[in-house]
Amino acid sequence: MTNTLSRRDFLKLSGAAALGGFIPPQAAHAAHKAGQINAKGEGYISTLCEMCVWRCGVLAKVKEGRVVKLEGNPEHAHARGNLCPRGQAGVMTTYDPDRVLTPLIRVGKRGEGKFRKASWEEALDLVAENMLSIKQKYGAEAMVFSSTHNLSQVQFENLLQAFGSPNYGTQRSLCFNAMIVSNLMTYGMEEPARDYSQVKYIILTGRNLAEAISNSETGDLIQAIDRGAKMIYLDPRHTKTAGKAAEWLAIRPGTDLAFHLALINVIVTEKLYNQNFVSQYTTGFDELANSVRAYTPEWAATLTEIPAETIRRIAHEFSAAGSYALAHNGWRTSNFVNSFQTERAITILNALVGNWGTMMLAGAGEESGALGKPPQPAYPRVAATRLDGVPWKYPFVPLKIGVFQQLRDSILSEEPYAAHGWFTSRQNPVLSLPDRQRTLQAFAKMDFVVTVDIIMNDTAWFSDVVLPEASYLERFDPLAMLGNRIFIRQPVIEPQGEARSALWIYKQLGQRLGISDFFQYKDEEDYLRQQLAPTRVSLEELRASGYADMSQTKKSEANKAPHWNTPSGKIEIKSALLAKAGYAALPAWEEPLAPRGGQFYLLTGKGARQTQFGTQNNKLLHKYEDEQRLWMNAKTAASLGLKDNDLVEVKSEVGKVYVKLEATQAIRPDCVYLMPGFGHISKGLTTAYGLGASDSDLHITYTDPVSGSQALSQTFVTVKKVERS
Amino acid sequence: MKPIKQYAYLFDTTRCIDCRACMIACTVENQVPMNDSYIWVAGKDVIGEYPNLKRATMPYHCMHCLEPSCASACIVGAWQKREDGPVVYDDTKCIGCRYCMNACPFDVPHFEWDKGIAGGALITKCQMCKQRLEVGQEPACVQTCPTGALTFGERQELIAEAHKRINTHPTRYINHVYGETENGGTSYLILSHVPFKELGLPEIAPTPVNAVSETVMSGTLPFAFTWGAVLTGVALLVRLRNRGKEIAAAEVIETEKSTEETK
Repeated sequence: MTNTLSRRDFLKLSGAAALGGFIPPQAAHAAHKAGQINAKGEGYISTLCEMCVWRCGVLAKVKEGRVVKLEGNPEHAHARGNLCPRGQAGVMTTYDPDRVLTPLIRVGKRGEGKFRKASWEEALDLVAENMLSIKQKYGAEAMVFSSTHNLSQVQFENLLQAFGSPNYGTQRSLCFNAMIVSNLMTYGMEEPARDYSQVKYIILTGRNLAEAISNSETGDLIQAIDRGAKMIYLDPRHTKTAGKAAEWLAIRPGTDLAFHLALINVIVTEKLYNQNFVSQYTTGFDELANSVRAYTPEWAATLTEIPAETIRRIAHEFSAAGSYALAHNGWRTSNFVNSFQTERAITILNALVGNWGTMMLAGAGEESGALGKPPQPAYPRVAATRLDGVPWKYPFVPLKIGVFQQLRDSILSEEPYAAHGWFTSRQNPVLSLPDRQRTLQAFAKMDFVVTVDIIMNDTAWFSDVVLPEASYLERFDPLAMLGNRIFIRQPVIEPQGEARSALWIYKQLGQRLGISDFFQYKDEEDYLRQQLAPTRVSLEELRASGYADMSQTKKSEANKAPHWNTPSGKIEIKSALLAKAGYAALPAWEEPLAPRGGQFYLLTGKGARQTQFGTQNNKLLHKYEDEQRLWMNAKTAASLGLKDNDLVEVKSEVGKVYVKLEATQAIRPDCVYLMPGFGHISKGLTTAYGLGASDSDLHITYTDPVSGSQALSQTFVTVKKVERS
Repeated sequence: MKPIKQYAYLFDTTRCIDCRACMIACTVENQVPMNDSYIWVAGKDVIGEYPNLKRATMPYHCMHCLEPSCASACIVGAWQKREDGPVVYDDTKCIGCRYCMNACPFDVPHFEWDKGIAGGALITKCQMCKQRLEVGQEPACVQTCPTGALTFGERQELIAEAHKRINTHPTRYINHVYGETENGGTSYLILSHVPFKELGLPEIAPTPVNAVSETVMSGTLPFAFTWGAVLTGVALLVRLRNRGKEIAAAEVIETEKSTEETK
């Protein structure tokens, strides 16, 4: 297998010059009309990136019907004219030689990878036929749907709700359920926005912004540090973000909660909090003061391995920065069942210094309130409970978020009932869910599996039908707002092969499933026109400029006294909802599991050039990617007789993988780290197949009972050398 | 020397997160083959011993010297320092002698070794995205940088900006703007929080290497003319041969393409 791109591939990428007069392809008509494409067919078309969920505005340089370069759109708040490495490499995602460009129907055994090409007509008929047959035999709930955060998700949700299934899996429980549920309990919103423009003191608890890049937020952080803001970074690894910190604290995994409880203890007992803010806008402070009494810095020092005086000093510095101090409330250095309480402690820490309105703001969100949508009837009533336990087992997890790993486990146990079909769109649960063997067993139980994607990802590989979606540079998606601006994702080139947009695919399925009333749009453009109807903006204008401004929020509204959507209308230090449900209403220490002799903590965390489980086949990203190796502290490695680049066996309770070792100074001696997303098993991914190892083969499934979050770090591994044969 | 307005880059290690967006942007913009790169990551990355660690990297590319050693070493005049900053290369003049590679104190020009001289191999390096400068755009690497670690502008203004940053934060930076005087001055200026050698940058005297090499070269002029003539002859022959090869290669590509399409 070769992982280098030959010159030949590059000829493909840049495209041979077409001879004769230039006729703009359909996709470039609007830009051509608006004068953005010149007579030679060259120019820039505005659209939106999809290399991660930050969704930056992009100006795509096109030349004779091909996209040759992507630039960040200066008008887009998430891009500001810049793109991250993934955004820059987007051309190769579109021109990936492994793109699936016709519908495929499985002919071999499932997972064998034998497919035949089919027409859309045949493939869609087959999908609808199977879905209807499952619905008739077992009920609509026997069809499971799963998809990941994307612009067409609104229509994916429409499809499953119109079909009548309650079973919906997103990737969020593998990522940030603990953060979302904690924010909902404390602030009554999923994720407050963060403003770095005036920040003076920042605590990042594993929020590795230099590698888990959110383009503009990463830029904001670096600029804040440049202006002189002090950044404290907690992580068992010395990441690229640690390299920017004034102080790196190599905290012991599982003890983030102890660190933050001790900060609260100092701030409360020494009365360093913002008393006006706390008394006016929060509830439960007195109970908090009682409950944190035992959590002294000395107590936390033994757990976290951070000296008590350091914790005390940071508490002093943080509170001294007052409303210009920010404890990033979105991540953790490691993910244990106690992470939910960690997130709660972090949100409370912010409330204590009263940084609402300066550092933390009501969520920017992507609500499309100003936009219309096609008419449709009410959804059918769903009587069946959800397989993922929401809300009957996990009452605080939003329906649109779910508990994905529980969904998989319920499929295996057939409790409370059996599922028979799985519809996945642009998501790769075979690689993303913990304990891959169990996921493959769940897929094996299905009567029917269908996947919508642009490449043959691992889940597509185990499907019966693969429906080829147009890439993000080839299609329209439903419009979304960013602040007061509507931005458009529009095709900058024609779809390759037979690839089609999600809007088209779901409408076609809707017609075949007898639910066409839920898809009342003629085509993609008609869908967008109906969205634009209330706004006075024409689709043509929007296509030409890429965005349109809606009226500004009234100043008076912005200055209104803050109100939070919690039972008390205040920031709930003591959560009324958690108390009512019988959970700890104030964050309290929970002892995490710990490795036994010879075992290591297995850490996970993103790298700058990959997004979750879908970008590893991109050859351009691969060109500048560091090889995925298992990080181990150099001294520890030496004590075990291991050297850099030794092949090692990494073994957990549920699986083992083989990977090369990286002996490094940049990690705690009791931890190892493996970058996620590698170890693809689909042979349809010629670049990614066989590259590296997957931590999903090692991860044990542990679900936090409150937030439904998967505790990704509660897996401990042994590492031993493999003699190469 | 008469002052000329010219562009330069300013790179600041304290803002760089080693994301490598610059490198990918460069590859796409300049259609750099997968086995070549005009920018590479230099520096030790992790410095120190656990738990006392620092990080430092830089995207290393052509320094675009004010008095480029590559140009003075080149016997066919393939290299030129443009008034607006970039050191550019004319592949129609190059004979593949690789004197420039030996001359460059920064080890920048690459040779397409995989092709070999007989394969029509050329020298490759960053040319400051001259095609973008022509239409008023910044180089692709600068344009995309998410953290503002790379900036682009008039050289004298960037030198002033660099000194301003050092003066504002004297404990943050090494008190030196690399490239202000190195090798007679370069159009890639670097600010760092670690000694420059930790970034893989050579310690170079302010006197350009050219001043030395040109003295030597002047004595070897007759030799150079003769050798140059011989090499030119070789280059012409190679070029004639390659023309035939290129046509053959294009045919192979077409055949491979159509084979793929029928798969």
